Amino acid sequence: MATKKIELVVSPPAPHMVGDGFRVHNFIPGGYHLDMERMSPFIMMDYNSKHYFSPTTQARGVGVHPHRGFETVTLAYQGKIAHHDSAGNSGVIAQGDVQWMTAASGILHKEYHEEEFSKAGGDFQMVQLWVNLPAKYKMTPPKYQGIANADINKVTLPNNAGIVEVIAGEYHGTKGSASTFTPVHMQNAKLNEGGKVKFSFPANYNTVILVIEGEVKVNNEETVGTDKLVLFENEGEDFSIEATEDAIVLVLSGEPIDEPIAAHGPFVMNTQQEIIQAFNDVNMGKFGYLE
Amino acid sequence: MLENFKNFLQTNTDITDVQFEQIGMGLKCEKVEKGKLLLKENQVCTHSFFVETGLLRAYTLDENGKEHIIQFAPEKWIISDRSSAYFDAPSQLYIDVIEDAEIIYLEKDFVSKISEISPSFRMENERLLHNHIRHLQTRINLLISASAEKRYMHFIELYPDLLLRVPLWMIASYLGITPESLSRVRKELARRNFKPNSK
Repeated sequence: MATKKIELVVSPPAPHMVGDGFRVHNFIPGGYHLDMERMSPFIMMDYNSKHYFSPTTQARGVGVHPHRGFETVTLAYQGKIAHHDSAGNSGVIAQGDVQWMTAASGILHKEYHEEEFSKAGGDFQMVQLWVNLPAKYKMTPPKYQGIANADINKVTLPNNAGIVEVIAGEYHGTKGSASTFTPVHMQNAKLNEGGKVKFSFPANYNTVILVIEGEVKVNNEETVGTDKLVLFENEGEDFSIEATEDAIVLVLSGEPIDEPIAAHGPFVMNTQQEIIQAFNDVNMGKFGYLE
Repeated sequence: MLENFKNFLQTNTDITDVQFEQIGMGLKCEKVEKGKLLLKENQVCTHSFFVETGLLRAYTLDENGKEHIIQFAPEKWIISDRSSAYFDAPSQLYIDVIEDAEIIYLEKDFVSKISEISPSFRMENERLLHNHIRHLQTRINLLISASAEKRYMHFIELYPDLLLRVPLWMIASYLGITPESLSRVRKELARRNFKPNSK
């Protein structure tokens, strides 16, 4: 097996606000060489690097908006997020939890800082990903997988190196807690200083890591600091991450979905006609209703 | 920049790329940020705004300070106060930016100037004017006679993506209904059209 070499190390782009609750760096698709086609099935990545929100009685967040054609995955590293949707689901994700929402044929939802967190204020850090769906699943019914940290399968690494949380896919025989429509690996490597972990994914899978905390050395050569993203080449399978200080690294690798992408705002479909249809359907109430 | 303006000019005319270059040379373009006021009531403003990207709106303020939205102008729309832009009279409208925008300033004589380069634009401008008047005619009729739902249905046909771009209170203002009535209309449409798990 050959080494998967680093193609790019990307610093976080300038942040912008999504609503008034999420201060995010858009790595995908806005980042250099990180467009949707290159990164498929990961077609969007907003990273809210650690940011202090002051106490408020008016919960910050994003108001009602639709999605169609893909899945949204929210990983909370610090802080708590509450959500509601037009299918009647609601819940809270707290530190370490993951919410995997399959928007598919369409959903309206809103996301806010959870009430108690808002009142107390505090550090907020999260990642939101959009994972594309192949054409045959784009118009299937929406669904939720709320995955509490306690329910995420974990692999303890040898030599007190740390743990790997297997959110999706597989790590050394341990399966991910989330079900996916196409092969997707999504894992958190939580490493102790000096701890080392090796990953192996097929060469053609699009693969990135994001350093959430600390500093790491990738493939024994490149030192990568907090908030930086590493894109790997589509050659070779194996790479290593060594923590030069206590670190948390989000590892993503997925099989590209080889289909045309038509994306506009909150919709990601295969054709422009389907995008127009999505706007019509939202306007006509076909995504339901949410205050 | 100017792709939308080029597309706008070439759609129903025989304006060539070379002629467009010539037109483009005299144009004033500007990037404007959300919130910027481009025209105030009682100002005289001798140009119209073509929206290359982004979103503008025109509105009036009543004696109680309440806004009434006359028009939204997304990409490829022209927006102006015609009493000001064409008759040198004080403007009745405010025009501001509701999404960061790139705009082109069209001077009062832009039709003549473009028509000098390509006479086909005069016919097109006439068609656009009649189209604009047709929309105003429909809008007057809807405002004096139609139900909230009918007004909403016309709005989403005219502006298919604005529901996702502007706050609902602005849409209610444009429709001349309360935000509560707009909610009722949308809730009722969802009740009739939302079929969970069978889309």
